[in-house]
Amino acid sequence: MWQLLLFNVTNGLIIGAFYVLMALGLSLILNLSNVINFAHGGFLVIGGYIAYTITPYIGFWGALLLAPPLTAIIGLAVERVLIRPLYGRDPLYSLLLTFGLAFMIEDGTRFIFGPQGKPVTIPAFLAQPLSNELFFITGYRLFMVAVVVIAVALLFLLLRYTRLGIRIRAGTLDLDTVAALGINVQMLRSLNFAVGIFLAGLSGVLAAGQLGLEPTMGTGLLMPSFIAIIVGGIGSLPGTLAGGLLIGVASGLTAVFFPAASEAVIYVMMAVVLLLRPRGLFGEEGMMS
Amino acid sequence: MTAALTAEGLHTYYGKSHILHGVSLSVAEGKITALLGRNGAGKTTTLRSLMGLTPAREGRITIFGEDTSRWPTFRVAASGVGYVPEGRRIFANLSVEENLKVPLEREGPWTIERIYQLFPRLEERKSNRGRQLSGGEQEMLSIGRALLLNPRLLILDEPSQGLAPLIVREVFRIVQQMKAEGISVLLVEQNARMSLEIADNAYVLDDGIVVYSGTAKELAADEGRVRALAGASAEEWTLT
Repeated sequence: MWQLLLFNVTNGLIIGAFYVLMALGLSLILNLSNVINFAHGGFLVIGGYIAYTITPYIGFWGALLLAPPLTAIIGLAVERVLIRPLYGRDPLYSLLLTFGLAFMIEDGTRFIFGPQGKPVTIPAFLAQPLSNELFFITGYRLFMVAVVVIAVALLFLLLRYTRLGIRIRAGTLDLDTVAALGINVQMLRSLNFAVGIFLAGLSGVLAAGQLGLEPTMGTGLLMPSFIAIIVGGIGSLPGTLAGGLLIGVASGLTAVFFPAASEAVIYVMMAVVLLLRPRGLFGEEGMMS
Repeated sequence: MTAALTAEGLHTYYGKSHILHGVSLSVAEGKITALLGRNGAGKTTTLRSLMGLTPAREGRITIFGEDTSRWPTFRVAASGVGYVPEGRRIFANLSVEENLKVPLEREGPWTIERIYQLFPRLEERKSNRGRQLSGGEQEMLSIGRALLLNPRLLILDEPSQGLAPLIVREVFRIVQQMKAEGISVLLVEQNARMSLEIADNAYVLDDGIVVYSGTAKELAADEGRVRALAGASAEEWTLT
């Protein structure tokens, strides 16, 4: 019993780590640019398939390093050409655009790579279980969590200590005043978008090694990531972090006791949080106004 | 006399309402120019148009010889225009020190250390969040933030608003000091009397139209006009 429990909590934490990576990227883009990026799951898929394509040439480690920045460059182009013209408009426009984009990416991937799942080979030593007792914890799972922890730590350091990060946080509150202090806010939005997409690309590579690749895999991770943002509180990145882990573990635990509800539980959690504390766990009042 | 800034025939709208009806003004280099007028006269709108925040639909803006009429806000600021907005617009979620790291780093004499020398109070509170500051501290932070851009022209929108008389004195003293540093100043104020004391030139705006332009001295001498501009509250300021 305890092994099953441990298995599912670990599983939940790992899934939660994915939600966190995805949700932080979504949150960055939403907070600064008011864009609800429905194509975020699509960028995860792009990151995964880039890794799949380049792994035979440069190996898993090379792909892990290169796929996220390549995904970010594609994101930058998308922002520049498609999303930028919509900034002045109602957020509904960019929502519809990215919604359509998500379908295009999914079908495009299916067209190029086929509907079947593709495996990405991970280094053999990472595929080993850690012990016979804890057969379910492979080195790769621990490795994924470590990468997520490092990525999140770097993101928070960037936001806390660099001028770029400080300007992004300032822009979240008052973009006009940031512009009036001489900062090119279009550029700021582009860089911020690229950082968010970088995180999506990274999730894609990590997910590819764990789950294999499918064109539809982005959609499955997108909804829980949105819920992580809402549970944590819109506008708060620490809240997003907590929200992602929380719903990951909650769905992992529910899988032990009531497997059928393991997916529904995150929606229940969102409903409960919204009823008790409408601004989310860490959210500040009036963040969206 | 060269002009730091010239605006000619600005027409600005908020949606369908026509706010500025052909505003023209000029800020002489190295001087303080006061832009006065009652509430709702269009003073803030004029400044927002100059900064490109609410672009004028018609008219021409020249700043240091360049036509900035169609420039985006950041470019106007980056050309050396410091802007202290109405209500200070401090980033409430950032610390004092972080607020000072937002502006573009233009070449010039102003550094964060020098801002702390000018406003020692800010150094004491450098780790405090913007939202924890008093009105006076917020005003200092807003001015310090604009100075870090190393501006050649400083635009201030009602810096005395909501501040205690002693702090208002301090703010006006700083504005004079900026002039002494060679910075041209455009000062929007409700506090007509004190503005005219430190200003070289003045404009009065009413319903989006310039109704007076001339020297500050001449306007200050017109007691009836100043009284009308200032309202009763200004009488108290001059006593301190």
